[in-house]
Amino acid sequence: MSTNHRFFCVFIANLVLLSVIVIPVFAQGKKAPAASETGKALYNDKCAHCHGVEGAGDGAGAANLLPRPRDFTKGLYKIRSTGSGQLPTDQDLFDIISKGMPGSSMPAWEGILSEDQRWQIVAHIKTFYDGFEDASPVEIDLSGKVPYSGESVTKGRELYKQLECNACHGAVGRGDGTSAPDLTDEWGFRIWPANLEQKWNYRGGATTEDIFKRFIGGIAGSPMPSFISSFRVGLSDAESARMTELEAKMDSDELADAEQTEYEGLEEKLYAFEDIMLKVEEGEEPTPEEKAKLDVGMKPIFEKSWHIANYVKSLGPEAIPQPAIGDKVLRAQYRPGDLPPIGDEAWNTLESSYFPLVGQVVIEPRQFNPSIDSVTAKSFYNDKEIAFLFTWDDRTKTLPQADEETAEILEDAIAIQFPVKVPQGPTEPKPYFIWGDARRAVYLWHWKVSEPQKITEMNAKGIDKATVQSAASQVQAEGVYEDGRYRLWVKRALTTEDKNDLQFESGVFIPIAFSGWDGANGDVKTKRAISTWYTFVLEPVPSKKRFVYPPLVALISVGVLFALRGAVQRRENGNNI
Amino acid sequence: MKTQVVSIIALFIVCYYVGAAGAAGKDEAVESLVFPASYKVVNVANGGTITGVVKYEGDAPEMKKLEITKDQNVCGKTDKFEESLVVGDGNALRDVIVYLIDISEGAGFSEDKSVKYEIDQKGCQFLPHVNLLPVGQQLTMINSDRIMHNIHIFSNTNKAYNKAQGKNRRKMRLPKVKKAEGPVPIKCDVHGWMQGWIAYIPHPYFAASNEKGEYKIENVPPGTYKLGYWQAACGTNKDAPVSVTVEAGGTVTQDLTLALKK
Repeated sequence: MSTNHRFFCVFIANLVLLSVIVIPVFAQGKKAPAASETGKALYNDKCAHCHGVEGAGDGAGAANLLPRPRDFTKGLYKIRSTGSGQLPTDQDLFDIISKGMPGSSMPAWEGILSEDQRWQIVAHIKTFYDGFEDASPVEIDLSGKVPYSGESVTKGRELYKQLECNACHGAVGRGDGTSAPDLTDEWGFRIWPANLEQKWNYRGGATTEDIFKRFIGGIAGSPMPSFISSFRVGLSDAESARMTELEAKMDSDELADAEQTEYEGLEEKLYAFEDIMLKVEEGEEPTPEEKAKLDVGMKPIFEKSWHIANYVKSLGPEAIPQPAIGDKVLRAQYRPGDLPPIGDEAWNTLESSYFPLVGQVVIEPRQFNPSIDSVTAKSFYNDKEIAFLFTWDDRTKTLPQADEETAEILEDAIAIQFPVKVPQGPTEPKPYFIWGDARRAVYLWHWKVSEPQKITEMNAKGIDKATVQSAASQVQAEGVYEDGRYRLWVKRALTTEDKNDLQFESGVFIPIAFSGWDGANGDVKTKRAISTWYTFVLEPVPSKKRFVYPPLVALISVGVLFALRGAVQRRENGNNI
Repeated sequence: MKTQVVSIIALFIVCYYVGAAGAAGKDEAVESLVFPASYKVVNVANGGTITGVVKYEGDAPEMKKLEITKDQNVCGKTDKFEESLVVGDGNALRDVIVYLIDISEGAGFSEDKSVKYEIDQKGCQFLPHVNLLPVGQQLTMINSDRIMHNIHIFSNTNKAYNKAQGKNRRKMRLPKVKKAEGPVPIKCDVHGWMQGWIAYIPHPYFAASNEKGEYKIENVPPGTYKLGYWQAACGTNKDAPVSVTVEAGGTVTQDLTLALKK
């Protein structure tokens, strides 16, 4: 038997074993084993660095993390499949450990720790909060799922406004609501509402079911409440409308006796349903009649909640965009005539290139928790000029203001970085990616929100060695902030007289990089979000000669073929004689 | 797999830089009330009354005006002030919880159905600011504002609570609370300045002072008790409670003077 064969047999045997051992465990309700020393040792080895030995979220790494590592001692778990005020199921804890929490520092342990080890850790985590001992969390019912459709999304969009989700998540969901800047979590730390367009940062996953569960159950320990209570459970749409009408009257006037009785009747009806709801939340078993009644009352509420989930699902791209490399590289498009201004439709014809940003952690002061996730870019050029449209999301528009602790002036800003001289070929090094180095300077366009129509042209030979160019800036700019997003339009001549400027040349791959400052995130100077070098190219103008040479070559080829054929035929004829 | 390894390496790099920023937890330790280990309900006949006025010692600091950042038409109609220390005429101190620390036997809660346990959210403010809720009672939240508030109660002992009370919900009832606790903060995250307090009390010998600083504890079984207080900015007198002797059917006056926590 060859090694390959042996390996294959062992593999199959393992599969069979797994199916025998694992499947029944899942079928039995996915419970953690009893807490053990093994679980404790694993926890101390892998988790305690951030979550603390006692599980209080105060490990050595905690202070630099945002969001903070969870404090397990309060029993407040963000990502649950259970209702408001309830503890998570064992499976919920297992899933978070396995998959990690996107957009946070919590990594996925699947593939690093075995399944058994992850369950051991679940068991140990539960020992940090007494409430787990007699808990019987009830899972949110997902059976009434409303399939995704345009109609459902439209209803969801309307409900999103009605229920005032925009107060925190913003008008189009970028986390820029009017309440967003003041939010803190249960421990008093700053917390931001999710940018619903960035599904790759949803801590608990971005399936429609995940969204539905967060909406119904809330995100414990954060400002995100359960919204189940925002509906009038048990009332028909007509009854609810009547209640609204009577309440409006109440505000300005006394209700007539009959109206008062009617109002109280509606209120009692609502309470009768809600009492059962509260009972279930308290972990009490409802009677079969109560259960049936609640199911009827909850059906329209769940339906509406699915519409909301479908709407949120519709926001933003499905997956994180591919970065601007390979076939996604930024290609400035040639466009004869005037280049389009900022709001022009023409920009919509181009696809965005996506540049991910990370925190600048090389040079003090560092930014471990950057809030600017990425920059996108589009570009047009003509015979004389080049124009760019950059966008990036920022939950708050921060005009210059002094930082409370450091007194530094904080402000939203961006810098677009090019080398002064484009490296000739891949072997010649680029300047250092953070604002160049002593031997290779970079050329920068610096824009800040307080002067939205100005680009400051700078050169730098290191992060603290930047100089503003002395000549008046030849770069035009216009920046606007709307719905949690900056759009910055920049235009410059392709070539300039200044030897410290980059000269844009068609067909050449030009390095480009970004620095972003979010004032509300404490970004200032070196504390900021940065990207590495990417490259972009001014897509060469398709030559008119393409109408001449290819047909010419084709003609010649055909001619040569005919000539060859004739020659061969002649020779064959000769041979036959 | 690759991304996991990368993220773990990144995590270790982050951990390596620990200590740079020493941002300590912002969790301010809120002082709590003292509850009896056990409490026995007995029939109290000819109980006495403890009453008095709570005053603030010295010049009252100027109240900080709150910045109303949203929903101006509802929240910004009148000026609002931070309410951790509300001092009225004659230095009268509002929102002081005065209670018997060491009572272990006494009356049950009033059976009077007309007593309502309600907090109104009006003009984006919790009214009253400090609330006493008997364990086992249901609290009703009123939303007079007709805009969305979220009821976020920061319990440790009882279940945490955070539910939205949309404009559709003029009244909403909360689950019954099971254990004595608090006072715990109640907040609305939508309107970050909104804050109040709820104490879940296990016996009826608690009172909150009104705007004149007055408080009254009634139907107290005759005896000598430790009288405690709690105030958001002034703290508690847990370590040095006042001794009060109540006589059958009598009224004892005990005024209190509080100063800011040092």
